Amino acid sequence: MGMSDEEIQAKIIEKAIKAPKPQLYIKDFYKCDPDTKPRKIKNLANDLVKKGELMFWSSGSTTMYARPDRIKDEEGDEGVN
Amino acid sequence: MAKHDTPLLDELENGPWPSFVTDIKRQAEKNPDCWDILGQVELSYKDKITHWKHGGIVGVFGYGGGIVGRYSDVPAQFPGVEHFHTVRVNQPASKYYSTENLRALMNLWDKHGSGMTNMHGSTGDIILLGCRTEALEPFFYDLTHDIGQDLGGSGSNLRTPANCLGQSRCEWACYDTEEACHHLTMHYQDEIHRPAFPYKFKFKFSGCPNDCVAALARSDFAVIGTWRDDIRIDQAVVKEYIAGKHPANGGSYIGGDWGAFDIEKEVIDLCPTECMWMEGDELKIDNAECTRCMHCINVMPRALRPGVDQGASICMGAKAPILDGAQFATLIIPFIKVSAENEFENVIDIIENVWDWWMEVGKNRERVGETMQRVGLPTFIKVMGLEPIPQHVKEPRSNPYVFWSDEEVPGGFERDVDEFRKRHAA
Repeated sequence: MGMSDEEIQAKIIEKAIKAPKPQLYIKDFYKCDPDTKPRKIKNLANDLVKKGELMFWSSGSTTMYARPDRIKDEEGDEGVN
Repeated sequence: MAKHDTPLLDELENGPWPSFVTDIKRQAEKNPDCWDILGQVELSYKDKITHWKHGGIVGVFGYGGGIVGRYSDVPAQFPGVEHFHTVRVNQPASKYYSTENLRALMNLWDKHGSGMTNMHGSTGDIILLGCRTEALEPFFYDLTHDIGQDLGGSGSNLRTPANCLGQSRCEWACYDTEEACHHLTMHYQDEIHRPAFPYKFKFKFSGCPNDCVAALARSDFAVIGTWRDDIRIDQAVVKEYIAGKHPANGGSYIGGDWGAFDIEKEVIDLCPTECMWMEGDELKIDNAECTRCMHCINVMPRALRPGVDQGASICMGAKAPILDGAQFATLIIPFIKVSAENEFENVIDIIENVWDWWMEVGKNRERVGETMQRVGLPTFIKVMGLEPIPQHVKEPRSNPYVFWSDEEVPGGFERDVDEFRKRHAA
């Protein structure tokens, strides 16, 4: 029996909090449950963005994920909520 | 009245060609913030370094693409471009607009942004340059509610699909590129608006091998129209071309002193596979050798036409030179029927197969073409569930070894690598 969606999302959040760098690639979350298909992990991570638990950071060509309180806004605010 | 001295930029107005400097000055008379673009670019020319910072957390709610963050690193000097975000708007298929729609778009952009545009970006999107962060949501609301358009793709998303004019204007289109592009754009809204992949992924749809959207060079997944029966020949019209009754190339070279049309020099000798010849006054084609280069059809469009059994070739893995240099796409599927009747189901199956594999195997910031290159074409073809065909072979083999897997050998074989290593250390 694999992990539930909630369990995977909890692991994604934990990873986003504890990772040395604030911005993470989607592939970094695949390891949260190696038995779950990458597309499902992507959907769960994007759902966390919708809930405000994560946010997107984009260079324009690549998109990464971050916890809102760990990321510096280019406009000068520390931690964006 | 200019806000900054821009002697270096002013030089770019001296030539006979159109100048972006003149364009920006004209726009600055309407929107004074645009003077600061000129000021900042002048400073970049002096410092020989860009003063744009790109990237960030900007976007509109619910979307993870379509907005590219741009900030000035000298905002105190140039406050008008402190935030100067780029907005990508999904263009209509084949870029058909009504003037009413264009006016509405420009009015909207004058209201919320700098008024500067880049029509069109290389992906095909309508690129709107220069929006402050606080204006993004109001712009997006008006765009989607008042003029019924949506943002395109950016970041690690499916990028805005693009297509040629297709059957709307072109007699050579072998499938309905507009319908295919529109259908897949709607089908993959989630992938366009939210990141899904290790890196960007682009579809492009060309109706024939002339490839007017340069899908072969610019897209990870190129659907290029082709046919698998014989080129249709009207021998009577071939004779008329030889007699000079029709201009070659649809009249593109009328006016030059090119002499009389010479079918040997201009068509037969230029066939890359040498599959054409004259028998008396009849043009013959060995269609089995034809690679659909389109040259003969382009030169004599009244006499030659694509065959009637039409579909598309799927080529994968093209990209611009970010990591490993530019590369063209590789032919993966020589022929597939492309039809709205089955809602492009067979094309979608291939796309999903590639995505599932690439999402798992692709490294961060690795285009699918780079992943293909890394694992090798034989492995990629196996992953795709395809049988290798001669068209997949790029050149004669240089490696003399053949590796068989157990399922490829009658009776198979068992091999215990650990047991082997006990006797033969690596």
